[in-house]
Amino acid sequence: MSTLKFDVDNLAPEYDNREPSEILKLALDSFDNIAISFSGAEDVVLVDMAVKINPKVRVFSLDTGRLHPETYKLLDQVREKYGIKLEIQYPDTESVENFVAEKGLYSFYKDGHKECCGVRKVRPLRRKLSTLDAWITGQRKDQSPGTRSGVPVVERDGAFSTDDHTLYKFNPLSNWSSAQVWQYIRENDVPYNELHNKGFISIGCEPCTRPVLPQQHEREGRWWWEEETMKECGLHAGNVSIPKV
Amino acid sequence: MKITLVKKTLADGSPCRKCMEVESRLNKSGHMNKIDSVVIADERDLNSEGMLLAKKHNVTLAPFFIVEDSQGSVKIYTVYFKFLKEILDTKSTEAEEISEIMDNNPDLDYI
Repeated sequence: MSTLKFDVDNLAPEYDNREPSEILKLALDSFDNIAISFSGAEDVVLVDMAVKINPKVRVFSLDTGRLHPETYKLLDQVREKYGIKLEIQYPDTESVENFVAEKGLYSFYKDGHKECCGVRKVRPLRRKLSTLDAWITGQRKDQSPGTRSGVPVVERDGAFSTDDHTLYKFNPLSNWSSAQVWQYIRENDVPYNELHNKGFISIGCEPCTRPVLPQQHEREGRWWWEEETMKECGLHAGNVSIPKV
Repeated sequence: MKITLVKKTLADGSPCRKCMEVESRLNKSGHMNKIDSVVIADERDLNSEGMLLAKKHNVTLAPFFIVEDSQGSVKIYTVYFKFLKEILDTKSTEAEEISEIMDNNPDLDYI
């Protein structure tokens, strides 16, 4: 049942040490108009867990038009295995046409991935989120380089909430490591993206994702041609050992 | 009303891309003359004026705007399009809003 007032300030610390399935249950019990964002990578575990709580859970994916064939295959496998109606979001046709006409198909190698991601991924995501009260992501703390702030298990979505509409965001896997995710996948026979067998960890669009070597951070498999400093807008203390403001 | 723009200099001494973009947009739209002062938050110097202001107002993103009204009450804007709308009464394009959302939320890369 949807709650009129969701007490995120108290629930976030209360659920910070809970299991992902408990956080998912909180999410699904608290909101009717909620959906899981499934990227076709390790976040498949969320779908497996959620279906056990609510077989009618809503799941959406963003098809940028540039995904790997292996990812499309997984999306369909998941749809069939769990009997869910996968809600696929596509970019706005005119925006993509204009973007490609102006910049071509590989502009991100020259001037960064943000514009392409904006057109193909974030705009459709914003459109989808404007129809929801809450969403669930597979984001984890161990995916982010050290300079980033943590990923709370539940939060008010600062990026997509508006003055008229508060959106809540659940990150049930926040405190799990990649090893825990994979243990769950193996123990529960969860279908996974074949690209993981080929050395991929983080999986996005085909031109912007590559396999990584052992001990390389998964971030190194994404947009590897871009300088790290150009990706961040945070105020950092640089190389001096002074705490971040 | 007094408006201060705080922009960042990176640890390697170069200017931050987003700050340059915002400044360029302000210049192009003719809004730069509404900014009373521009202050640098230098990541190499925690005592630089901008870093001190960031600390004072508990801000972790750059650029940001400090807007002080005639009664002395202060409002901080880390979201440029919100600042544009509320203070300069100007609407930004969807592309600009999306670009800023991505800049301010790098974790969206993993969605």
